[in-house]
Amino acid sequence: MLSLKIAFRNVFRQKRRTILTALTMFGGFTLSAISIGWGDGTYSNTIDIFTRNRLGHIQIHKKGYLDQPSLYKTIDDYETIGEKIIGINGVEAWAPRLYSAGLASVGEKTAGVRILGIDLNLEEKSTRFSRKIVEGRNFSSATSKEAILGKGLADILKAQIGDEVVIISQAADGSIANELYPIVGLVESGDDMSDRMDFYLTLPEAQELMALNGRVHEIAIIVEKLGNERRLAHQINGMLNKADLDIAPWQEFAKQFYQAMLADEEGMWIMLLVIIIIVAVGVLNTVLMTVLERIREYGLMKAIGTRPLQIIIIIIYEVNIIALASIIAGTILSLPINYLLSFHGVALPFTFTYGGVEFSKYYTQVNVRSFLIPAVTILFTASVVSIFPALKAARIAPTKAMRVH
Amino acid sequence: MEKRNEHIIVTEKLKKVYSDGGVPVPAVDGIDLTITQGEFSAIVGPSGSGKTTLLNIISGLDSPTEGKVWLNGNLISSMSGNELSDFRRDNIGFIFQAYNLIPVLSVEENIEYIMLLQGVPKEQRRQRVERILEDVGLTGFEDRMPLQLSGGQQQRVAIARAMVSRPALILADEPTANLDSKTGAELLDMMRKLNQDSGITFVFSTHDKMIMERAKRLIILKDGKIVGDENRE
Repeated sequence: MLSLKIAFRNVFRQKRRTILTALTMFGGFTLSAISIGWGDGTYSNTIDIFTRNRLGHIQIHKKGYLDQPSLYKTIDDYETIGEKIIGINGVEAWAPRLYSAGLASVGEKTAGVRILGIDLNLEEKSTRFSRKIVEGRNFSSATSKEAILGKGLADILKAQIGDEVVIISQAADGSIANELYPIVGLVESGDDMSDRMDFYLTLPEAQELMALNGRVHEIAIIVEKLGNERRLAHQINGMLNKADLDIAPWQEFAKQFYQAMLADEEGMWIMLLVIIIIVAVGVLNTVLMTVLERIREYGLMKAIGTRPLQIIIIIIYEVNIIALASIIAGTILSLPINYLLSFHGVALPFTFTYGGVEFSKYYTQVNVRSFLIPAVTILFTASVVSIFPALKAARIAPTKAMRVH
Repeated sequence: MEKRNEHIIVTEKLKKVYSDGGVPVPAVDGIDLTITQGEFSAIVGPSGSGKTTLLNIISGLDSPTEGKVWLNGNLISSMSGNELSDFRRDNIGFIFQAYNLIPVLSVEENIEYIMLLQGVPKEQRRQRVERILEDVGLTGFEDRMPLQLSGGQQQRVAIARAMVSRPALILADEPTANLDSKTGAELLDMMRKLNQDSGITFVFSTHDKMIMERAKRLIILKDGKIVGDENRE
């Protein structure tokens, strides 16, 4: 308590120096809090586009399907599974999907496509399919004999809304699957590569075409809160208890994307290193000056019975009081900024694509770690850096110190 | 052994040699000294005679090159850093020439500083501070900061701080050097009275005539050696 009292009052002795040190810490904290929030916002946004808009947070496949996709590796009782899954607390939606490859032709143009059979209602609840339609309209019903094409695919085929498209593939029973569909809509999913290949049909129509009635290749699951997907995948696995199914969160079935996100996150540590250096230089300078100025005082304190450790504590307290004040002031400034930017974002002067996802705005995320990481970094750096001058003060020989003028 | 227990300070063949550009310079040269409990003594001598060095070694602020020091029967020359800090805190009160006070603490806080280090309960601290402030004539100055006090008042606070934890010994290094003669005389009379009332031993290092006049024993140093020891009781 006594050490804290002395440290607190010492803070106000050299006001200008204290303010300069505090400003260094304040600037470092505010910049990092906003940057981490910004990084997390971009990270979450990208994951959200990748998962919620397209892949789902959790996927279920027949064992081995992802390693070696096959028309025959299907999930047969997908409706029963879906009903069980939707009952789990924390699961928001699910959607069954059927995949196949084929050739699509419009007039004289032909292109290889990925046929996707989707459940109109469940896909809407899961990935908000209708929002991706940029031209034309959605399927007229859950069983309609219509096709929706990726925008890129339509460009390749030089197809327009109202044109008819012929699809040819091999059905599961070995027969040639071919059908003619009117194009009713064009889709932009945010992933250019997918949009150049995707050919959407309603699920019953795709099942009929591929002779896979009552079967799908994938169940995509959307969770209510991103971050719970690993736990829920484990829970679903335990509940279904089916050895022939692979149930994986997005970090496993989209490994490359996940690793790219992790690599992106490492940029944050470089920024923290910069803050550590800025704070370290500022604090070291301040504390060294302080110790030199107060050398007689420390000598007196030691002479009358203050232990060296108590002097070290006083100096570390003093630095940490400035650090804490800077963190509080930094939080007061950066919290509303992060909050506002999480809603409104910052428009980029140009759009760019990262991992196939198009970005036109940056959004921040308000979370505890954007404040906790810089706060701990600043407190830790300030404490560590002040140890050297504090040791110097604690080792002062009182007789020498008190001769200093 | 008996001698060491009877006396508050005992030094034996005390030597302190400094190096001046590689040349050994003895500041204290084989001093044997005993000081009894309750003495009001002064170590006197010209500048460079070794007064302050002797006082520093006696208090454990400096270590001797050779020889031993017993304080209250404890061999302080063999104590570690923390042991010495605690020993000084509990047994010795210090009054220096200047810069005696911690500038960020008020008069009351400066006085109770050592008691806080000792862990004396709050109520006891308050009572002792109240009493000592009365003794040094600073009642009503509790909340003043050192910079709001005159030099004499600051020395009074230093005396109060030195005495309040009831040490066995008070070491005062040129306590009147920065004061005018009237204030210096008042302070010395006050210290003499406190010495008589409490029985605390006072040892001064000085070349101030006022102290020499009031001291009951004069230990005269020259070139690091005791050249005279005058008892005036």
